[in-house]
Amino acid sequence: MGIPRRLCSSLNLFQVVRFGSKKKSYSSLHPPNPSCSNSFLTHGIHVFQCPDTVGIVAKLSDCIASRGGNILAADVFVPQNKRVFYSRNVFVFDPVVWPRMQMEEDFLRLSKTFNAMRSVIRVPALDPKYKIAIVASKQDHCLIDLLHGWQDGRLSVDITCVISNHFRGPESEVIRFLEMHGVPYHYLRPTENKSEPEILKLVQNTDFLVLARYTRILSSTFLRSYGKDIINIHHGLLPSFSGINPSKQAVDAGVKLIGATSHFVTEEHNAGPIIEQMVERVCHRDNLQSFVQKSQNLEKQCLSSAIRSYCELRVLPYEEKKTVVF
Amino acid sequence: MALVRRVPQFVGLANRNRNMSFKSLDPPSSLTHGIHVFHCPDAVGIVAKLSDCIASRGGNILAADVFVPENKQVFYSRSDFVFDPVKWPRVQMEEDFLKLSQTFNAIRSVVRVPALDPKYKIAVLASKQDHCLVDLLHGWQDGRLPVDITCVISNHHRGSNTHVIRFLERHDIPYHYLCTTKENKREGEILQLVQNTDFLVLARYMQILSGNFLRSYGNDVINIHHGLLPSFKGGNPSRQAFEAGVKLIGATSHFVTEELDGGPIIEQMVERVSHRDNLQSFVQKSENLEKQCLSKAIRSYCELRVLPYEEKKTVLF
Repeated sequence: MGIPRRLCSSLNLFQVVRFGSKKKSYSSLHPPNPSCSNSFLTHGIHVFQCPDTVGIVAKLSDCIASRGGNILAADVFVPQNKRVFYSRNVFVFDPVVWPRMQMEEDFLRLSKTFNAMRSVIRVPALDPKYKIAIVASKQDHCLIDLLHGWQDGRLSVDITCVISNHFRGPESEVIRFLEMHGVPYHYLRPTENKSEPEILKLVQNTDFLVLARYTRILSSTFLRSYGKDIINIHHGLLPSFSGINPSKQAVDAGVKLIGATSHFVTEEHNAGPIIEQMVERVCHRDNLQSFVQKSQNLEKQCLSSAIRSYCELRVLPYEEKKTVVF
Repeated sequence: MALVRRVPQFVGLANRNRNMSFKSLDPPSSLTHGIHVFHCPDAVGIVAKLSDCIASRGGNILAADVFVPENKQVFYSRSDFVFDPVKWPRVQMEEDFLKLSQTFNAIRSVVRVPALDPKYKIAVLASKQDHCLVDLLHGWQDGRLPVDITCVISNHHRGSNTHVIRFLERHDIPYHYLCTTKENKREGEILQLVQNTDFLVLARYMQILSGNFLRSYGNDVINIHHGLLPSFKGGNPSRQAFEAGVKLIGATSHFVTEELDGGPIIEQMVERVSHRDNLQSFVQKSENLEKQCLSKAIRSYCELRVLPYEEKKTVLF
């Protein structure tokens, strides 16, 4: 099932980040400067999911305060009739007063105290960026938008490679861009087993995957083997128009609103937990071309928004098929 | 097909007005609003002739919408104008537009003068859920819904102490309780009760009207679906949406055809939902949307803003 795997894998995911970071010396990333250590306030994000009980917020906030951290934003959510607790804290702290490794230990202790299903701490300025691979097909509006967002610094990830079942020549915009930035492009000719073992090999060192209008369905074997989160963009307002060519379906159905949906990929096609949905109005003055154009616009925004939320630790799995998005 | 069926009704409606005696007019100096919608095969010169007709009678066009779809030889327009009913009598207006509709072989030509013409007569059908019904009744009372409600028909019994019954009694609107079963949908009786209406409004009426009923009734039927069609067709869309973990819920108002929840869509509205919503707030937001969406659809329809477009769509000016 998507959720348990992702729970474990997310823990693994973030643990990999943590342990990976622990092995690195943080001092090499941001040399401490004792003469002005007071001015180096860094942002930290902590998300917490555990069985609900009295006192969690008190203990979490006390932990942060005791280390001189100042909470700037907090979201707490306890669903009705369910004994589960979700929180996300954004705080600033002095990494000299509260070293990164100490922070790990402090939150680890809290997660044990409360038997947490999930306790993740991330310091964007110090921790390595998330490594992602982007998988695309022929349609490249989402891919190009992601690449530009990455280049502009709006998408704070490391793109390890782009994988596609569509050939792109050296003169194409995508190839020239990728070559300019030293990002490999892997063209995997469509074969019977859908090239999945090759893809797995190419993405094994990534933190999560982004399907940017990738048209092939990933098998459950792949999902289980990869083990980490995969974010997909569906060019329709799920569960409407699941399947191919939702724009044409929408035109034919005479709807007045079209949309896009970003969601986690699970074994069930186009049915994984939804992260974000966006709509735009259409009317009789729209033709298939403008439907498609508006749809592509929405897909780009919706996918970027989902990836940004995910990287900021705003997206948490909720029950079987849903998400908490702080 | 609804499209074909709906055509005679529109034209018929205009003719009906001509035969009635119009109520006494305001003092000659007051300008009155008129609305004209036109739907015909496309050709050069339609806008010129329509606007010339209006101008020649001293009418002043305040708003106009023209739409000719790509690759289709069909013309839609809606003109909103003010005129002096002394200079341009209502009956003369009918004749003038009739002549134009014949010139251009119009599929549809309707003129409506809200201040002079009788209000549209509607019957409202409802079941147990009454948020839409109550909202319509209040809108009607406040004058926001410019219709005449001839009666309310329901397959749900309401006692004399209920808000709905007391409201209807106060305003002299009959309430007809027609209990339905799987075998008997009481369609014959409904038909009789609604035979003098211009269109019907299904305000969360939970019974499916048969193709027979739709053909026999012949006029338009507007329904509100508590979901963003084509998502969540069928029962309990709020619960379906809640369980699907969507981030947006919606409502859809549409014309009723033989295909359940498949008729041409008039209007759709959405609202955001999140993890903080439970089923109760899903339902509450949904009910809110349904009320707004249905009212808006009825208002648009009464203002002649809704025109059938191809098989399953609408032009909404």
